[in-house]
Amino acid sequence: MNDLEPDRRAELIAAALSGELTPEEGAELDALRVADPSVDAEFAELSALVGGLPAVERWDDVAPSAALAARIAAIAADDADAPAPAAAPGLATVPEPAPAPDDRADAQSPPAAPVTPIRSSRRGLRPLLLLVGAAACVAVGLGGGALLTAPRGAVEGPPGTLGAIEEVDFTGAPASVDIDGALVAHTWGTETVLTVDGLAQGAAFTVVVVGEDGAEYESGAFLGSAVPIDCRLNAAVLREDVAAVAIRSLEGGQIALAEVPSV
Amino acid sequence: MTIVAIPRAAGWSPMSEPPPAFDLRAAFDEHGPSLLGFAVNALRDRPLAEDCVQEAFLRAWRARESFDGERGSVRTWLFAIIRRVVLDAYRARDRTPQLVPQHDAPEPVTSTDPLERIGIVDGLAQLSAPHRDAVVAIHVSGLSYQEYSQLTGVPVATLRTRVFYALRALRTALDEVDPTP
Repeated sequence: MNDLEPDRRAELIAAALSGELTPEEGAELDALRVADPSVDAEFAELSALVGGLPAVERWDDVAPSAALAARIAAIAADDADAPAPAAAPGLATVPEPAPAPDDRADAQSPPAAPVTPIRSSRRGLRPLLLLVGAAACVAVGLGGGALLTAPRGAVEGPPGTLGAIEEVDFTGAPASVDIDGALVAHTWGTETVLTVDGLAQGAAFTVVVVGEDGAEYESGAFLGSAVPIDCRLNAAVLREDVAAVAIRSLEGGQIALAEVPSV
Repeated sequence: MTIVAIPRAAGWSPMSEPPPAFDLRAAFDEHGPSLLGFAVNALRDRPLAEDCVQEAFLRAWRARESFDGERGSVRTWLFAIIRRVVLDAYRARDRTPQLVPQHDAPEPVTSTDPLERIGIVDGLAQLSAPHRDAVVAIHVSGLSYQEYSQLTGVPVATLRTRVFYALRALRTALDEVDPTP
């Protein structure tokens, strides 16, 4: 029996794994097991595998949206605009590049994200809330302002210039709070760069980009810290459509507002 | 595990074919659906899954200079990257309180071992669509081969054989993945 066609061997094992052998097929498989001990070993391995599959519960077939394709394409396009592409909205960025390709690369420890992001609530009342942002923040210590002072590249130009840093003034913040801010225009949206000091440690704050039409685009959230922190946040609205950037408490109270010039 | 660094120049000469460079758009066209399938089914959160795919391609783009096509395929490299991104996102979501309306909350994923489940989803995502569909139909959805045959018009014997080889491929994929990086 061990000279069965491979497909028949496969067929019998598959039927046994799902408990669908007919009595005749059961006898055929028993004979095969006697002649070929590898059948039992393979059946045991695959049986253990099959036992874990119900945990998947279901499989959703999905296709990338045009919007996702555009976001991916913008990575390369944005690289031409500025040398530091922003992290995906909704995820804390991991500054270190991925390791060199290696089939066993997955066995290496992943680089740790600097700060756990807080996912914004998905309130359905706000328009175009498709990309839920989160802040990529790092504590910078007493020196502060690393993001704002570190050169991002040679891109310079008036507000709205792709990749250029546009400093903005936040007003209305309590006297104990120090906020330095900037915007960076990208092909895929607007990045807000903040250095914040003095906000209540552990309290959550959101950053909202306000469009010229009054629409609000959540850009992400961050926690107040005992030390100055640098944050980068992304909003799915083009710089040319931005009128202001607001920092708010999680309850919605406004902490500071930066009005920006039209471009 | 011992990692041995192999000089890039080893085995390469000006007369041989240079290793393929990383082409972002081509990689997304070819592998984006599989990567998104993995992320969506691992996280059950389409927006977060798309963020993961974007993050994976961003990391790949940033590391493109180090990509060596002779050491592994683009597909293997991208799956290694997104595996880390998805696990990071899963863990971050798992430990972060979320202010999400009930009707808009991500679907709960029930499993005694989430990492094991994500590993299986990873392996399924790397199967061909016919192989994955057959495995899911029989061993996830619980259809009989006869029922699945009636749905697809494919003979039972063919489906059985297909599932057997799909399970073999899935086992190989899982063997190549450390589920707890």
